[in-house]
Amino acid sequence: MNESLIILILVVATALAFDFTNGFHDTGNAMATSIATGALGPKTAVTLSACLNLVGAFLSTAVAATIAKGLVDAELVSLEIVFAGLVGGITWNLLTWLLGIPSSSSHALIGGVIGAMLAAVGSSGVEWKGVVSNVVLPAVLSPVIAGLVATLGTYSVYRATRGVTEERTERGFRIGQIGSASLVSLAHGTNDAQKTMGIIFLALISYGSVSADETLPPIWVIASCAAAIALGTYLGGWRIIRTLGKGLVEIKSPQGMAAESSSAAIILLASHFGFSLSTTHVATGSILGSGLGKPGAEVRWKVALRMVTAWVVTLPAAALVGATAYGITAGIGGLAGVIVVFVAMIGVAFAIWLRSRIDAVSHHNVNEEWDDERSSRRPAAVGAES
Amino acid sequence: MNGWLDVGALVKVLVFGIVAGAGLPALFAVGVRTQAVGAGTVEGQHLADDRRPMMTAVSYVCFALVAAAVVVGVLFVARDFIGHHTGWYVLGAEEK
Repeated sequence: MNESLIILILVVATALAFDFTNGFHDTGNAMATSIATGALGPKTAVTLSACLNLVGAFLSTAVAATIAKGLVDAELVSLEIVFAGLVGGITWNLLTWLLGIPSSSSHALIGGVIGAMLAAVGSSGVEWKGVVSNVVLPAVLSPVIAGLVATLGTYSVYRATRGVTEERTERGFRIGQIGSASLVSLAHGTNDAQKTMGIIFLALISYGSVSADETLPPIWVIASCAAAIALGTYLGGWRIIRTLGKGLVEIKSPQGMAAESSSAAIILLASHFGFSLSTTHVATGSILGSGLGKPGAEVRWKVALRMVTAWVVTLPAAALVGATAYGITAGIGGLAGVIVVFVAMIGVAFAIWLRSRIDAVSHHNVNEEWDDERSSRRPAAVGAES
Repeated sequence: MNGWLDVGALVKVLVFGIVAGAGLPALFAVGVRTQAVGAGTVEGQHLADDRRPMMTAVSYVCFALVAAAVVVGVLFVARDFIGHHTGWYVLGAEEK
């Protein structure tokens, strides 16, 4: 077994690990409001979402245009840069999960790759115009548009059902929510699993085991990416689900259905018209909108502000980790460098997981009352403030 | 435009987004309402003596339309896959 094959295997493993974090980071985008309104039990919701993500991943036939396309100089991308970028994305995904903040997995990955590219080649390796028009502008616009659509939807839903008993309305919309949440899950699997497939495909091409003319990645790539994202989704990012479902808005099932319909419509339309956007930004904007559209509903702007701050920080922070990872990888050099960073990443992941056990959020307590005072991801019942 | 942003596509996303993303839940809400009216359970109605079968029928039409839209949505997501494996190209899918 030669050195470059081992590096390839480590890169593929890291890519699948990223896919896994992508899954559990984003479960809430589709399922948070269904869980909060009781339309689906927490376990049922994540199981359904995992299955649909799995199916969605298999539905994508074209190789995803690599996430790096138009953002960095494709000629200069090496296995080490991809690897360091993935490490940056994973680390930032885990940190934001610990804080219960729904931040964009795509931004984390893009940030990591850009950071690694900056460390490797310098500013000339990054296509800044592409970054602004493909990443920054959509990130600013998509939550606003999704929020607007969800506001309109929620408002008209409440207008139309005025005078109908709340019990009847809740029951009807809970059924509707199952459909809308399923559609978001399916769209998520189709979009996000492709990103990892694209990365592994790239790695295989650069290793030489797959021809660049192939239009479809090998079936094991599709299967393993589908499995990784589904497994992550099934695990459920309960902290993030809690923030989205309970923290932002006290949500009722008509709002939930309006929010999810808006998310599904915007995600599908945007990918059809060639906008790359983050499902997280869309889902968050939609949920905010469902709070604005319901007469008398309260939106917790403090929580929203925390999220927006995290969104702004995501690109540079992941870039910083990506650049550092590249620095160490290249500094040590060769296989040893990759192994050192790989082991370090596992260590960091384990430390974050240990920290998360202190104030664990699970399917048991995900729907506990939100505590405004501490703006906490942690249910009040669990224990004292840290 | 100047290449930074495809404004035309953006407007389309917004318009279709409102039609599908806000229109469908609104249609569903009309279904919930007409169903309640049909069953005679809306404010101002008296149970049992105020049932309206026509409204119940309207509610089923609304729910059917929403369900049809969801099916179209799923086909839309899967259109390349369906085309690739069955040769049946729907909803603007193209042979690759």
